[in-house]
Amino acid sequence: MKSLIQKLVEIPGPSGYESQVREAVKDEVEPYVDEMQVDPLGNLITRKGSGGDKGLKVMLSAHLDEIGVMVSHVDKNGFARFTQLGTVFPRNTAGGRVRFLNGAHGVIGMEVPPSRSAVTTLNKMYIDLGVTSKKDCPVKVGDVAAFERTFQDLGKRMVSKAMDDRIGVAVLIETLKALKSTPHQVFGVFSVQEEVGVRGATTAAFGVNPDLGLAIDTTGVGDTPKSPRSDLALGKGPAIKIKDFGMISDPRVVAWIEAGAKRAKIPYQLDILIGGSTDARAIQLSRAGVPSSGISIPSRYIHSPSEMVDFDDVKNTIKLLVHLLSRPIKLQ
Amino acid sequence: MKETTDLLKKLIATAGLPGYETPVREIIEKAWGPLVDELKINRLGNLYGYVPGTGKEPRSSILIAAHMDAIGFMVTSIKDSFLHITQIGGIDPRILPGQMVTIHGRKDFPGMIIQPPAHTLPEGMQNGVVPLSDLLVETGLTAAQTSRQVRIGDLISFASTPIEIKGDLLAGHSMDNRASVVALTEALKLLKKRHHEWDVWAVATSQEEVTLGGAAVSSFDLRPTLAVVVDVTYAKGPGATAHLSYAMDKGPALGWGPNIHPKLFQAFEDLAEKLEIPNQKELMSRMSGTDAITMQVAAEGVPTMVISIPLRYMHTPYEIVHLKDITRTGRLLAEFICELDDKFMDTLRWDESEKGVRNSK
Repeated sequence: MKSLIQKLVEIPGPSGYESQVREAVKDEVEPYVDEMQVDPLGNLITRKGSGGDKGLKVMLSAHLDEIGVMVSHVDKNGFARFTQLGTVFPRNTAGGRVRFLNGAHGVIGMEVPPSRSAVTTLNKMYIDLGVTSKKDCPVKVGDVAAFERTFQDLGKRMVSKAMDDRIGVAVLIETLKALKSTPHQVFGVFSVQEEVGVRGATTAAFGVNPDLGLAIDTTGVGDTPKSPRSDLALGKGPAIKIKDFGMISDPRVVAWIEAGAKRAKIPYQLDILIGGSTDARAIQLSRAGVPSSGISIPSRYIHSPSEMVDFDDVKNTIKLLVHLLSRPIKLQ
Repeated sequence: MKETTDLLKKLIATAGLPGYETPVREIIEKAWGPLVDELKINRLGNLYGYVPGTGKEPRSSILIAAHMDAIGFMVTSIKDSFLHITQIGGIDPRILPGQMVTIHGRKDFPGMIIQPPAHTLPEGMQNGVVPLSDLLVETGLTAAQTSRQVRIGDLISFASTPIEIKGDLLAGHSMDNRASVVALTEALKLLKKRHHEWDVWAVATSQEEVTLGGAAVSSFDLRPTLAVVVDVTYAKGPGATAHLSYAMDKGPALGWGPNIHPKLFQAFEDLAEKLEIPNQKELMSRMSGTDAITMQVAAEGVPTMVISIPLRYMHTPYEIVHLKDITRTGRLLAEFICELDDKFMDTLRWDESEKGVRNSK
């Protein structure tokens, strides 16, 4: 499984430019699903199970896209100015490297700030592609790049760029593989454009028209030195979404997930995310409304080129999903 | 009037945070039950009350909406006998220290928001306003009792009790937007005795304070011909910006701006003038800040109107409204509904010019 995670995180796929990731996911899931299609926005929508009298249409959404940059200007010396796709923190950016979808590489440099402690912004940064003129520059306005940072297996923990949300993508793939039978129609959705406003999930949810929705994404933790206040920690199990910046989960769905985790004796945590939201927000507000929540993989250093997750959390998230989807669902 | 005041008092003494509206919805169900033909609860928790019109089928329908959820807090972390909290909806931390709250744990019990001593706060925070992330809720219980009674994700609501102030004013928490729920109830009462051609859907929406979500899905669900949102707006008071606040006891404020169908505004204003119901014009130059934002663009789009009840001290434990503004709003709504006939939609072209809003009458 770690090799699948490595393969997924190392593919570049910023918001709106997810094709390479989508192709890789297609190859992985095809043998394990009953139906597969790509919708007009580029969401990969799979279905497993035919449902029955008591089965529900359950939509699970993991987003394919990652944060990245887009070239906004190339100057006469060949330096490329850029804008962000999704939320890119300036503090994590200077000194980093990017890889363009056309294969070009560059390093992010920064204008010298007025003082050492000054906080800089993205518009004071540029991409240095190792060229000396605009003519030689291998990228042009509109070209897109992802951050470049290789996968590292630290044993219990793994670190890479784009763990948000390729780890969710990996979890969803493995869930579809491990799910032997289900009384439901399980729609595994690999969504696009989450980082720019949960847009893929918005249209996917409209198309699928589910009875129940879950986002499979990452969430922040409070277990590092002087981190934001949060009781979440790496290694303590999947996090059940109660609230985030963009939604309040349906309490019935939260209770259903929690009861499943208890029954299957899987450790879990309760997730209140102060900043950020997920595809669950889009699913919840689709059509006449969909009872929704999320199961998140706790992650450190989100939206940095080195996002860290715990392998036990990953395995437990898959176990929990398979457990929940293998049996009838009754929301109380 | 007493019946109206009593309902409002009951509503503002009841919790109903976004996504957890059940307690307040149950009270509204009781109040609306005798006034409507059918009550339904939507998947996101909206309450729908249906009153059929007398026009011939297929009939047009009007959706009248007021959100029933209210701002509050959620427990994010438990430290011994104290709780860390986050806000649900926008809350000004300046007014919080010392406020009594209700902790909705395994059972409801009282608590108090406290400001920790200055020397325990992070550097640079000793003076000035302490942000919500550093305030605590005192449970009054031992650490062991607290961990048994409370868990992460539990809700906390204001515990301020309703107070009648001289001059027909009522103060209490969650007046935003329970005052409007009462206005809808007033309209339903009047409609009970009146003839109206259009179908009416009265909707108590959920989750307005966080996503405007209940409104979005209700509009998709019911596909009304028109929608009218009733909410509260800033009343004139200390420090209120003169041109962006509205007088209390001067009637409902009628919204005007891109979130409002210009012809609907005009129809409401004309009717209010005709009936001598005091009214004001509220400028909503961008979005209205109400459920109308999501309702307007649901499905194929719905012509929307916003009517606001002026309120002072919004999003604090004591919001104040004038009771007469509530009954005036209810009456205007009911009268408008009674005016709707099978020709009304023919007049509804989007033309915001003076001529446009007038010529079709």
